[in-house]
Amino acid sequence: MSALAAPIIGDHYLVTAPATVSHPVPGPETFESIVDDYQRRLYGFALRMTGNREDAEEIVQDAFVRAYRALAKMDPQQRAELRLQPWLYTITLNVTRNRLRSKRPTNVALDALADPDALLNETQEGPDQPEQIVDRAADMVLVEQALLQLPMHLRAAATLRFIEGRSHPEIAEILNQPIGTVKSHVHRAVRILRRILGPQVGRIVQNDRPAANEEEEE
Amino acid sequence: MRCCDVERLWDEMREGVEPRREHVLAHLRGCTVCQEIYRENEGIAYCLTCLPPVDPPDLLVPKILEHIKAAVKIETPDSIAAIDSPIGRLFIAFRHSGITAIALDRGEGEEAVFARLQRRLGRGLIPSQAPQWVGDTVAVFFRTHTTDLGKVDITELSPFEQSALRAAATIPPGEVRSYGWIAESIGQPTAARAVGRAMARNPVPLLYPCHRVVDANGAMHQYAYGVELKARILEMEGYHPEAVLTGSKRR
Repeated sequence: MSALAAPIIGDHYLVTAPATVSHPVPGPETFESIVDDYQRRLYGFALRMTGNREDAEEIVQDAFVRAYRALAKMDPQQRAELRLQPWLYTITLNVTRNRLRSKRPTNVALDALADPDALLNETQEGPDQPEQIVDRAADMVLVEQALLQLPMHLRAAATLRFIEGRSHPEIAEILNQPIGTVKSHVHRAVRILRRILGPQVGRIVQNDRPAANEEEEE
Repeated sequence: MRCCDVERLWDEMREGVEPRREHVLAHLRGCTVCQEIYRENEGIAYCLTCLPPVDPPDLLVPKILEHIKAAVKIETPDSIAAIDSPIGRLFIAFRHSGITAIALDRGEGEEAVFARLQRRLGRGLIPSQAPQWVGDTVAVFFRTHTTDLGKVDITELSPFEQSALRAAATIPPGEVRSYGWIAESIGQPTAARAVGRAMARNPVPLLYPCHRVVDANGAMHQYAYGVELKARILEMEGYHPEAVLTGSKRR
């Protein structure tokens, strides 16, 4: 296996972009199904952005209220032309921004998604937990916290790109920025994450590898 | 191609559509530094895609829908109509859920009353004709001094204000009770002052009879439209100030 083949286009971690859910014409009448379809995705996004479940829940609620109001004011033409998914991401991001701005900045880091110690203890208590799973959970907490250390705009770019699996043009639409800016934000986010996570990254990837290697040997 | 250009193109390379692909690959073959950066970047992307999916809390959908309903309700304007009554011209704000506010024109003019009600409700008011049920509710009050509370919407008040007003509505016409009595009957015996404030903020006077709530020693205390009017309404209902105040003596 060449040194480059896997890392560049290794399909085991190709960015997966779930197909955009399409609605005939979004409007207040169909709003319940819109909420149904998007609440999970937007909640996940808000949680990755804030690291705090309560914040995420309130952000999603506010975002849907805003979306509803805006939809109610649109004429049929505007509704037909609306690209629902990026639009909902944009609203969620705006609400997130407002909310984080009004909070003390330290909250972001302090309210990290999960407390690594608690998570470790919890997982270790289980008698039959293989060590690897414990490591894995702790590693994921490291990744979550590294993400939360990024400045807002870079975190948004990295989250949309790698966790939400959106394309560059779609992120540009969501953030209302030129594609070049999006690419450079993604790039800078990755560079900072590389610095924060350092050697941990190699270890996480390595830990996931053995299974693949075994397969190859067969 | 320089290292910094190659590094910048990493994410595009993953998409497989980068037009300079061949040049980047050529550079990578000869540059271990860039190889290392690409490997590390892939590691970062991999770590992020590995983050476990998060489940939204239970009942998030109904909560969101409830939230929307509340927000929309607050924004839809109420209707407002004028009705002449034995105590003067009343302005009644209402929506399909019930009467939401009542104001008496104290001679300040229609516009001033509208503005006062609008401030109180925090939303717009659309002047209109009083529908039958609104007229009937007011007429029944002046005839029998009772109200069908199903025709009055106080759900936007705080739970405390709501329960204080509901307690006030249990006072029979022709009688009065003290603030302390209300406080006790809603299970918060020390909240007499808060009851006083709730009565003062009553958006639907008459229909929720805050006028039947008086001082512990029977003094009229206060009324939005003046103590005199309070006395007049009570008299209309058959109450005589000399009568002994029933209920608790505590304020």
